[in-house]
Amino acid sequence: MDLHITDIEDPDINYSNEPANIPLHRRPSISIRAKIAISFSLFFILSFTVTGWSYWILTRLENKIEFLEIADNYMVEIQQARRFEKNYLLYSTDLEDALGHLKTADEILTQNSEKIETILGRDHFATMVSYMTKYHGQLVLLGRAENDAEKELVVPKLRQFGSQMVSFAGEFVEKEQNSATRMFLLAKRVPLYFMGALFVLMVFVFTFLTRQLLLTLNRFMDYTIRIGEGDFSPITPARKYRDEFTKLAEAFNHMIKELDHKHNVLLESHKLRAIGTLVAGVAHELNNPLNNTLLTASMLTEDFHTLSDDEKIEMVNDVIGETERAQRVVKNLLDFAREGETEMTPLEIDKIVEDSTRLVVNQVKFAKVDLKLDCETNLPKIHGDEQKLKQVFVNLILNAVDVLPPGGEIRIHVKKDKSRGYVLVTVTDNGPGIPEHIQGRIFEPFFTTKSQAKGTGLGLSVSRGIIKKIGGYIHLTSSPGQGTTFTVSLPATESPSEIMSK
Amino acid sequence: MSDQPLKIMVIDDENIVGKRLKPALEKTGDIVETFEEGEKALARFAEDPFDIVVTDIRMEKIDGIEILEQILALSGRTKVIIITGYATVEIAREALSKGAFDFIAKPFKPSDLRAIIERASKELRP
Repeated sequence: MDLHITDIEDPDINYSNEPANIPLHRRPSISIRAKIAISFSLFFILSFTVTGWSYWILTRLENKIEFLEIADNYMVEIQQARRFEKNYLLYSTDLEDALGHLKTADEILTQNSEKIETILGRDHFATMVSYMTKYHGQLVLLGRAENDAEKELVVPKLRQFGSQMVSFAGEFVEKEQNSATRMFLLAKRVPLYFMGALFVLMVFVFTFLTRQLLLTLNRFMDYTIRIGEGDFSPITPARKYRDEFTKLAEAFNHMIKELDHKHNVLLESHKLRAIGTLVAGVAHELNNPLNNTLLTASMLTEDFHTLSDDEKIEMVNDVIGETERAQRVVKNLLDFAREGETEMTPLEIDKIVEDSTRLVVNQVKFAKVDLKLDCETNLPKIHGDEQKLKQVFVNLILNAVDVLPPGGEIRIHVKKDKSRGYVLVTVTDNGPGIPEHIQGRIFEPFFTTKSQAKGTGLGLSVSRGIIKKIGGYIHLTSSPGQGTTFTVSLPATESPSEIMSK
Repeated sequence: MSDQPLKIMVIDDENIVGKRLKPALEKTGDIVETFEEGEKALARFAEDPFDIVVTDIRMEKIDGIEILEQILALSGRTKVIIITGYATVEIAREALSKGAFDFIAKPFKPSDLRAIIERASKELRP
């Protein structure tokens, strides 16, 4: 017993090796995941910075407050020292008190030298210490002075160093107080700045990500429309890098390839149907030259001995002429029916349209309608597949034949649309027209106004696919009672005749 | 062959058909006139009826069925033989039901047609 095992395909299908996907794949990768990760990292870095900065500023503030406390104590001590100095000079009190306070001040400085140094800097600290040492020196000199005259000698320097020492310290305390106040203010404002920055960043990330996602989604919407209209060219890279959407694009390209393949099958089956229709006409068309040949050859054998040479020659020429006529009929159909790959070649559109009208000449004749072809001269060449284009025109003419009553008219006009570099082929009938509510659906596959036996509803959808593929388009204008015009616009390639006419 | 010659009309838009059938059918001593257009043939028939009409069924302006109807309306005794391009049963049946004597499918030999005309003439001259 045969066991059919269906391959369960890997959900993580990889289409990136398909030829159509190589340009998509040959880009640096920045995935959406990476973008989101980068955005979140940005938020984190911002928060981290703000937190770190706050911590740093608060630490500095703490140091400053500590310094201010130390400086305050120091100020108190040196101010006390100076007060006792004055008392000593005025009232000759004990100088030891002044020296005592100065010693405490000195202890404060040495104990907290590191902290003070970090705030004031090494130089300022050294100046501070030197002022105090100098003052201390003078104070000691003052204590050794024996009389008023000696005292008077010391006093000016003592006063100078004393006031320098106090004002220097006072200046710094004031400065540090101001700086601490400023830091407080700043620390208060940081959360507000942070909020602002966060808001800006959020808006930026939001717009960036939504733009990325929405624009790409819109682009894919456009692709589906384009593909729906039968344009099966693969998706090409729209951005400099690839991401998760690239996988989607690759899957799309795979789908497009499959659709293209299916479309070609559809095209072939539609062509077979058209051939079926045409064959009925061709059979009749062949019967005429065959009949003429048979009649002529029969009469030639019957009357061989009574006919003049001229008559015999005429009859043989008739046989040759009719055989060639049969050959042309068969060749035209075979050209149309020939199976083959799409071949894009420069083509003369008037010849294509003419061949198409010749293919349907019998259907036109049987339906007793009138077909008129009018081609402008000096038309630029177009680029396309000969057979497929014939398929389009045969289809348009047969559609017109189907709706026309005997005596109806089909006019085909081939002209340039110079301003836009297109060649236009219009197929106009004076039939009943297409009701407006159907016009929008007429190019849909399997939509038909004909009975099941007569139409598959593929003709116009296949035609549109063929025309789209070579960069042209097809549209109709119609109003009930006024007939219908199908216009096929095909991009012109510049031809030698056009270059010459410039 | 003491009978009066039959008057035969051949209508076919293929010029060669008339050209070859005229001598072929005249061999029996009948009078043959050929036409490429239905209207002219009908006009001619209206002024002088024929005994036998051989007409192609598919022609551009007036088709064989119409010619059949009009001729039978003008002259009920006329035998109409229809030439069909490709014989379909429906067309043959329609032609016969509308009073055609017989039909012959293209391509045919002059002798085939002569055989049908022979039968027709027997009916005309029993």
